[in-house]
Amino acid sequence: MGKTVLIVDDSNTMRKIVARSLRQAGIDFDAILEAGDGLEALEVLGANQVDVVLSDINMPNMTGLEFLKAKSEDDAIKDIPVIMISTETGADIIDEAKSYGAKGAIKKPFTPDLINDTLGPLL
Amino acid sequence: MKYVQDISASTQEIFSTMIMLDVAPGEAFRRTDSHLKNSVSGIVGLAGETKGMLSIHLPLETALAVTTAFLGMEVEEIDEDVCDAIGELANMLGGCLKAAIDPSGSKVQLSMPSAIHGEEYTIDCLADADLISVPFTFAEHSFIVELQVSS
Repeated sequence: MGKTVLIVDDSNTMRKIVARSLRQAGIDFDAILEAGDGLEALEVLGANQVDVVLSDINMPNMTGLEFLKAKSEDDAIKDIPVIMISTETGADIIDEAKSYGAKGAIKKPFTPDLINDTLGPLL
Repeated sequence: MKYVQDISASTQEIFSTMIMLDVAPGEAFRRTDSHLKNSVSGIVGLAGETKGMLSIHLPLETALAVTTAFLGMEVEEIDEDVCDAIGELANMLGGCLKAAIDPSGSKVQLSMPSAIHGEEYTIDCLADADLISVPFTFAEHSFIVELQVSS
């Protein structure tokens, strides 16, 4: 069975760019799912088998950190790995993200190689 | 002027990495005409120890060219995709410049990005803040990245 990735970002443009970067990085997913904020992401995770999540931090309705916290409290989805992709990669924010289970962080702007280096070991 | 080098380096990195466009910075200046005409502007606010605004202003044709390159698909009119793309550019610029303004990462917060466009408009930030404008060019296009900060 192929792998499925969920891209969470309030920017439609950035979701497209992340999806394109995954293809350019040579990471082949059978399905690429999208969500516009943390709330939508929780709904997608509840309804689909997802192998890895790439999530922005600054989003309306539910931020990336709030999403991580909510996910960590749900036994059904808490073990799905999450990589943060954001302009916000200060040590405080990344430490908080990791305390909620984030497996890593990628700073925008990013290259396909950086995506591959960060995501590859999780697949 | 402070932050000129940071603006130049951040803008060049973002455009080359994410849009595959090599942009050349010009000489920084202080923009005196507050009116922007036939343009699209992406904006991110800065709050906390340092307050202000990061903005990028592109003439309509340049905004279309940048969005086309960004998305990898032809964009022919100023629509939601263009505003989203230009807002995201401002967001990335804000993130890069925040690192220069606040190396600790905890004393300055960024707002959600926004974008506006129109035939003629002005954008007001802080009356007592320093405004730094850096022009950029690529091919036949030009645009401006501005940082306005007040500690």
